[in-house]
Amino acid sequence: MTTYETLVVETRGHVGWLIFNRPTKANAMDATMLNELEAAWQQLDADPDVRVIVNTGNGPAFQTGLDVAQLSRQPEALREQSRRTRRAELRLTAWHNRVWKPVIAAVNGTCAGGGLHFVADADIVICSSSASFLDPHVSVGQVTALEGIALVRKSPMEPILRMALTGRHERLSAQRAYQLGICSEVVQPERLRAAAQELADKIARNSPAAMAATKRAMWGAFEQGLSAACLRGGQELLSLWGHPDQVEGPAAFADKREAKWMDGAGIP
Amino acid sequence: MSTYETLILERRGAVGWLINNRPEALNAMNSAMRDELAVAWRELDDDPTVRVIVHTGNGRAFQTGADVSELASDGIGMERYRQSVEQFDFHFTAWHQRVSKPVIAAVNGICAGGGLHFIADADIVIAASDAQFVEPHVSVGQVVAIEAIGLLRKMPAEAVMRMALVGRHERMSAQRAYELGMISEIVDPPEALRAAAQELADKIARNSPAAMAATKRALSNALEMGLTDACKAGSQELVSMWGHPDQLEGPAAFAEKREPNWLPL
Repeated sequence: MTTYETLVVETRGHVGWLIFNRPTKANAMDATMLNELEAAWQQLDADPDVRVIVNTGNGPAFQTGLDVAQLSRQPEALREQSRRTRRAELRLTAWHNRVWKPVIAAVNGTCAGGGLHFVADADIVICSSSASFLDPHVSVGQVTALEGIALVRKSPMEPILRMALTGRHERLSAQRAYQLGICSEVVQPERLRAAAQELADKIARNSPAAMAATKRAMWGAFEQGLSAACLRGGQELLSLWGHPDQVEGPAAFADKREAKWMDGAGIP
Repeated sequence: MSTYETLILERRGAVGWLINNRPEALNAMNSAMRDELAVAWRELDDDPTVRVIVHTGNGRAFQTGADVSELASDGIGMERYRQSVEQFDFHFTAWHQRVSKPVIAAVNGICAGGGLHFIADADIVIAASDAQFVEPHVSVGQVVAIEAIGLLRKMPAEAVMRMALVGRHERMSAQRAYELGMISEIVDPPEALRAAAQELADKIARNSPAAMAATKRALSNALEMGLTDACKAGSQELVSMWGHPDQLEGPAAFAEKREPNWLPL
């Protein structure tokens, strides 16, 4: 397995872990992490043993966005990031990297600014009770766009606008995020990784191919009007007809055993 | 400053207040108010001393939609609205009037029917603990469309459909609105609402006006197009601020532990 400087990438059973590992910098993204994220998502997506991905952070913070101080000392990296921003070609998150395996964000602490990309673009979000969310962009003269755009499609909009406009002067708690449906589970801080592994293990028991098609159908719904999304969703349903998992699933159920799914590698 | 018959406009620090002022009519929107709102939003948005706008009402209601007694008595009735509805050419909310500054609705009591336009079209909504939301259109043979369409895109849909279809026979409490993420704060006691709104607006006024305007455009666009297209448009909003003086001032003020000196919008 590749080694990384700013990330820890490991597998536990069928679960791939992508862990931000700049704890002394609140896991802010420097030039190295920006490059490594793209490589790590691709590695986990291509690994046939990995069926579910958990994304979390080492240290007290989950993710706090771009490390602007460090990037300003690396003009070439900053230029590349600027180019990608201008062309809407960021490669930070699973969604940016077209990962069709289920992705769980396990938010272990502060999630600030660009860190919200990883919440917005995850499929499932669980939180430590010590987690909090804030978006300080407008307090330093920066615009919030992509993180907020995805979040307003996935949760009630008013709280997202409030977070974007109050900037660093207010935080959203894990409990409030749970009430709003931004996350689906809040656990004690020391239980977070065990809870994430437990949830991921459940998900890993489902058909990888069926989950990938499901994920494409759901994310596709954000791209179109309702009727068009249903039409396209119908194609995703059809795409699995005749797939071996559709025979194996009912057979395993009838035999009261775990299903033996086709592995998830190479799923389009 | 213009003078208004049905509204009160005030400035408190960097906060512009727009107050519905027909308390005896539960702040129902008659033709005069409808016309004055169009002017008032633009006045506040164009005023360089205003950075945030708070919208609230005098009396026990926030807003109760079109003034039914005027409709019933002046011989014109709903026909007065035909052209504006046919062309969706409305001018009474901040969104209709393309207000670029953050807008907080501070819901001081009943918000009924067309009053929901102002909830759907605000950026942030807070409410007094005794505020209530009700959508009586179908109970009087009218259709609900525009205000509910906005709400459906911004909060859980079931609650909006229920309100639209149950009509005047049920009201949503401030508590339920908070649970659903339709509002972000309940103020109790109700008399503390304006102080809470001013406090929130003062916080927001400390942020870069230009960055907030671009943020507001980027997030509003998320409701207009698909996710990928909205992200592409959002990237242009990000880029639009590059090189703006606020992007140097923000980090400098942070490092020097002082309030930033932003450029006015």
